[in-house]
Amino acid sequence: MTSNNYNQFEESEDEDDFNPAPADISDDENAGNERDRGFKNEARDSTPVNKAEDDEDESLVASKPSAHAAEHDDERGDGEEEEEDAERTGNAVDDEEEEEEEDDEDEDEDDVQHGHRRKRRRDRRTAFFDIEAEVDDEEDGEDEEKDVEEIEDFIDNEHPDDVVDTGRLDDRRHRELDRQRELENSMDAEKQAEILRQRYGNRRPARGLGDSSFVPKRLLMPSVDDPTIWAVRCKEGKEREVVFAIQKRVQERMGTRDELAIFSAFERGGPQSVMKGYVYVEATRTADIMAALDGMLNVYPRNKLVLVDIKDRPDLLRVTKTPTLEPGAWVRLRRPAKHAGDLAQVLDVTENGLEARVRFIPRLDYGVRDESLNSVLTADGKRKRPVGMPGPRPPQRLFNETEARKRHPRHIQGNPTTKTWTYMGDEFENGFQVKDIKIQQLVVQDVNPTLEEVTRFASGAEDGTENLDMKALAASLKDSNANVAYLPGDIVEVYEGEQRGVVGRATSVSGDIVTLEVIKGDLAGQVIEVPTKGLRKRFREGDHVKVVGGSKFRDEVGMVVKIEDDRVTFITDQTNTEVTVFSKDLREASDIGGQGSLGQYSLLDLVQLDPTTVACIVKVDRESLVVLDQHGDTRQVLPSQIANKLPKRKIAVAADRDGSEIRLDDVVREAGGQQRQGKIIHIHRSFIFLHSHSINENAGVFVTRAGNVTTVAAKGGRVSSAGPNLDQMNPAVKRNPAGVENKMLPPKTFGRDRALGQTVIIKKGGYKGLLGIVKDTTDTMARVELHTKSKTISVPKEFLSFKDKHTGARIDIGGRPPRASQGGGGGFGGAGRSDASWQGGRTPMAGSERTPAWGSRTPAVTSGARTPAWKASAPGGDYSGSRTPAWADGSRTAYGDGNRTAYGGGSRTPAWQSGARTPAPGGDAFGVGSRTPAYASDAWGSGSKTPAYGGVSAPTPAASGGDSWGYGGSSNAYDAPTPGVGLGAPTPGALNAPTPGAYSAPTPGAPTPGGWQGGWGADSAPTPAAAAAPTPAASGSAYYGAPTPAAYGAPETPAASGPRYTDDD
Amino acid sequence: MFFLKNMERRVTLHPSYFGRNMHELVTSKLLKDVEGTFAGSYYVISIMDTFEISEGKILPGSGLAEFNVGYRAVVWRPFKGETVDAVVYSVNHQGFFAQAGPLRLFVSAHLIPSDIKWDPNATPPQFTDNEDTVIEPGTHVRVKVIGTRSEVSEMWAIGSIKEDYLGCLQD
Repeated sequence: MTSNNYNQFEESEDEDDFNPAPADISDDENAGNERDRGFKNEARDSTPVNKAEDDEDESLVASKPSAHAAEHDDERGDGEEEEEDAERTGNAVDDEEEEEEEDDEDEDEDDVQHGHRRKRRRDRRTAFFDIEAEVDDEEDGEDEEKDVEEIEDFIDNEHPDDVVDTGRLDDRRHRELDRQRELENSMDAEKQAEILRQRYGNRRPARGLGDSSFVPKRLLMPSVDDPTIWAVRCKEGKEREVVFAIQKRVQERMGTRDELAIFSAFERGGPQSVMKGYVYVEATRTADIMAALDGMLNVYPRNKLVLVDIKDRPDLLRVTKTPTLEPGAWVRLRRPAKHAGDLAQVLDVTENGLEARVRFIPRLDYGVRDESLNSVLTADGKRKRPVGMPGPRPPQRLFNETEARKRHPRHIQGNPTTKTWTYMGDEFENGFQVKDIKIQQLVVQDVNPTLEEVTRFASGAEDGTENLDMKALAASLKDSNANVAYLPGDIVEVYEGEQRGVVGRATSVSGDIVTLEVIKGDLAGQVIEVPTKGLRKRFREGDHVKVVGGSKFRDEVGMVVKIEDDRVTFITDQTNTEVTVFSKDLREASDIGGQGSLGQYSLLDLVQLDPTTVACIVKVDRESLVVLDQHGDTRQVLPSQIANKLPKRKIAVAADRDGSEIRLDDVVREAGGQQRQGKIIHIHRSFIFLHSHSINENAGVFVTRAGNVTTVAAKGGRVSSAGPNLDQMNPAVKRNPAGVENKMLPPKTFGRDRALGQTVIIKKGGYKGLLGIVKDTTDTMARVELHTKSKTISVPKEFLSFKDKHTGARIDIGGRPPRASQGGGGGFGGAGRSDASWQGGRTPMAGSERTPAWGSRTPAVTSGARTPAWKASAPGGDYSGSRTPAWADGSRTAYGDGNRTAYGGGSRTPAWQSGARTPAPGGDAFGVGSRTPAYASDAWGSGSKTPAYGGVSAPTPAASGGDSWGYGGSSNAYDAPTPGVGLGAPTPGALNAPTPGAYSAPTPGAPTPGGWQGGWGADSAPTPAAAAAPTPAASGSAYYGAPTPAAYGAPETPAASGPRYTDDD
Repeated sequence: MFFLKNMERRVTLHPSYFGRNMHELVTSKLLKDVEGTFAGSYYVISIMDTFEISEGKILPGSGLAEFNVGYRAVVWRPFKGETVDAVVYSVNHQGFFAQAGPLRLFVSAHLIPSDIKWDPNATPPQFTDNEDTVIEPGTHVRVKVIGTRSEVSEMWAIGSIKEDYLGCLQD
C-alpha cells in the first residue's frame, strides 16, 4: 500500500469524478439529483417550504432503490452522496476526514484487486464502512469514530435494503474483525504501535504534501444541483445597504408564512470592483428572488436578472486581499473633494478596519471666500448655495490659529498647549487636519509620495525649522512602488511551488505570468510558465547590475559582491560604496554609469549653495544630492536648495604652495595632512576640489586650499618624448615656424591715410555690399559716406574693399596710390599688388615674371659685383650670359625677400640643391639661374665674394636712403628701379629685410653689413636667425630633416648647414 | 590570460615624412599608438613585431598616406575566474584596491575571509587576521577575478580572496 501510494492518489483523483462535479452527475438520474438537493436544502435551510420539498424527495428516495435495485452504479453514487450529506449534517466537513475516507476506499480496492470491478464496487460500500471504522478507531480517535458510526447508523437506517443485500458478506467480515481485535488485544501496546506504524507510518507525510487543500476545493465546487445565483441590479454604492435590508427582511419574516425562499445574498461592490451595481442572490427560482426583493429600496429585481454561470460562481467569492494600512503609512485622499489627491499620513486604523484616522495639510481659507459668496444673494433674495467647490481650492497650509480667530472667533476652540483645535467642526493637531476617513476614500496603492510632499509633513516643528530626517524619508520612499518588473532576458529562479529551484531565462512576460526557458537541471530547454509571485531574479557574484525597482538606490549601477537569499550587495561603479537591495529591484546592466544627474545637476558639478559657500556634488540620489562644501563638510540638499550651478572655468588658475600655477586637471598632492593626491576638478577662489580614484568617501572628492598642495604633474608639462606627430606636418619642414609671421605687423604708414577719399565697397556686416566713399579714418575704423543714402557710417577698415573710382575694378589700397598701380604696373605685375597678404605678396615676387623685370632694371648695379662671384665659384664660364639675370635674381634674394621667394618658387629649390653641390652637372637646370644664388651663397661662405656682395649691397642703401620708412629701407633696395612706387616696396621689404640679415650677418662678416647696419635695423636680423638657422640644425640629423634646409631657401642656411649637405650626400 | 594576437591596424603618415625610412616611422608610430592601450576587452602589452606593412595609399583630401600594418602583439585579457597577482595600493574598511599590471581590482570586505578583519587602528590601517596575513598598501596578493567591467580606456575588476590559496603572498 505504501509503495504505490502515489498511484492510489491518482486513482482517487479519478474517482473524484463521482463527486458532485457536473459532468458525472449529469449521468445520474433525476431522482438522485433531486434527493441530493433535498438533503442540501435541509442542511442549509430549514424553511418549511424546503422541508416540504424535502419530504417529497424522501418519498422519492424511498421508492428509488426498489426501482433500480439492479443499478449498482447508481447505488454507489447514492451512497457516496449520502456520505457527503451525512458529513454536512454532522457539521463536520473536515477535509482530512473526507480524504481519509477516500484513502480507505483505495485501500479497500487494493484488498480486492482481483475481483470483478463491478462486483467489487457493489461489495465495496459495506466493506468500506467496516474497515473504516476500524482504521479510524485506531488512528484518529474517538471523535472520528463517532462520526463514522453516525454515518454507519445513518446509512443503516437509510438503506435497510442494502444491508440485507450484502448481509452475508458483512457477517464474515465482522467475524474477521473480531478475531483481529482479539489478536491485537493480546499483543502488547508497543508491538501494536509498531505494526500500526508500519502500516500507516508512511501515509501521513505523503498526504500532507498538498492534495489536502486541493481535493476539497474541487469537492466544494458548485454544481447544477446547487441553487442558482442571480445578479440583481441595484443602485451603485448601495449594494451593502441592500444586502442589509435583505437580511433584515429575512429576520422579520422568519417563521412566518411568507418566509423568504432565498439562501443567501451578498455583494461585491466597491469603487474599483467590476461587480458594483449588483447584489447576488442565491435561490432556486427567480420567483423567490422577486418575492424576497419586492418593494425594497435601491434594488431593481424586475429590471434584469442575470444568471451567474456555474464556472463563474467561485470567482464571485474570491477574496481579494485588501492592503493593510499601518500607522505611518502614506495614502492619498479621495474625499473630501477639496483634498482630493492630497497626501495624508495614517495615524490609526479603527478596530473594524473600515475607517482610518489620517492627518493631512488643511486647505483653509478661514472664511475669506465664504463671506464673499454668502453676500451674493440671488434674485429672489435667497442666499445662493455654493455648489461643489467654488473657484480654485485654497492652497495647502498648516492650520493657523490667529487667522482662524480673526473671522470665526466663535467657531474655534481648543488647547494652545497641546496644539489641538477644533475649527468649523474639523480637528487640527499641530497644524495638521486630523480626520477619520473611510478606507474606501483613501488611495492606498501606488501612493508614490514625493520628497517635497513628505517634507511638508516633517517640517511642522514648533520653531518652524526643518527637522527632516532625510534617511527616514528615503526609507519611506523606498517601498513606494514595489512592483517587480521582469523583462525578457532576465535570469530568474523559481523559489516557490512545484518548480522550486528551477532556473531559467525569461522569454516573455504577460501580466503576472512569466514564460521562461529553463537553462539548468532536468528541465533544461523546456519552456514553462510561472506566476511572478514565485519568482525572483538570480544573480551571481561579479554580475554587473543596475537598480530598477522602487528602491532609493534606483539607477545605481554596480558589481555584485555578495548574495544572501534575495538580498544582493553590490559595489556601485560611481562611488565604490556598497549597496544592498532586493534582487527583485535589480537588473543585469550592460551600460556603465547610469545615474549621475538630477535635473541639471550631475555628479562632480560645482554648485553654489549660498553666496559664500560652494560645494561639489558627490552623490546623486533620486530626489536629493549630497554635496561636499568648501570646508570639507558633506550635507544632503535638495535641488531647490542650490542657488546655481557654477560652470566649469577652464581657465581658472591657482598657485600652489610653491607659487607655481596649477590648473584644472593637474595632479597635485596635499603638502601636509594625509598627503592625498588627486586631480583638480574645480578651482574656486583659494579652494580646490580634487578627485582621486583611491578614495572612497565622497565619490573620491576632497577639498583643500590651493596653497596647501604641491604640483605632481602639470597637464601641459608632459614632454612628448616619442618624437614628432607623424600625422601632422613635419615641424622640421615647416617654413614659417609658428610665431614668426604673427610678429610681422603690416608696416605702419604715416601721413595721410591713403584710404581717405577712396571709393569702397563694404565687404561685411550689416552694410555689406554698399558702395561709399571714405571720409575719415582712424587706425581701425573708417567713416564711409554711403552712395545709396546720405549717411555716414563707421566701418572697420578690414571690412572695406577699395574700388577704382572710374573703372570700378578692385584695387589694393595697401599703401600703393592708384597712380602707381596704373603706371608702374607692368614690371611688378598685377599679382603682387592685387594680393594684400604679405606672404602672397612675396610669392609672386618670385614669379618668373618679375625676375626678368628686376634683372632688366638693375643691370648696372649688379653686373660688376656679380661677375666675380660667379666666376669664383663656378669655373664653367659659358653660363654667363644666360645666368646673369638669374644671378641678379639670386643676389636680390640674398638681400631681401628674394632668397626665399626665389627658392620658394619651387622649381628652383632642387635646382639649388643639386647646383650647390654639383655645380658641373647642373647646367641644364640652371637655365633660370636658380643655381646662381647657390654660388652666391657659397661665395659668401668662403668670404672671397664678400666684396662682390658688398658691391651689390652698396647701391641698395643708397637707393633706400631716400625712403622715408626707416626699417623698410633695405627692401627699397629693390625698389630702387621704381623709385616712384612708394608703397609697392614695403611688401617685400618687410619680410625680406630680415632674411638677409640672418645670413648676411654671420656669413660675410663685417664688411657686408657694414654699410647696412643702420638700414637693416635690429629687429629684422634676429627673426630669421632664430627661426631659420636652428631649424636645420635640429633636424639635420634625422633623415627627414634633410630636405628642410633646401626648402628653406638657400641663402640663410648655407652658413649653418652647408657642410652637412655634403655629408648627407 | 595572455595571448599572442595577430592584429592589423591602419597607420597614417604625413606626407612630410615620406622618404626612405617610412617603414621605420610607421612602425614607431604603431608602437606609440598601440602599445599599452586598452582595446575594449584586453590590454595590448607589447608588440612583438610587424609582419606586414602594406603599400601606402594616399588619402584623398588630406594627403596622408595610409598603411595597413599587420603585427603580432602580446595581449592580456583578464577573465572572470582568472587568478592574478596584484599589489595593494589602497585599503579602506570596505575592502582594498589592488593593481595587477594595468588592471585595477577591488576586493570587497565581503570577499575577504572572515578571519581577516579590518583594523583601523593599525598604521597604516590594514586588514589582518592578527597572524601572518597583513593587507596594507604594498602587499602582494593573489586575487581571483570575479567580475570585470570595461570602460572606455581601462578595465575594472572585482576580486575575491575568499578561497583557498588566495590572499597574501609571502615572500
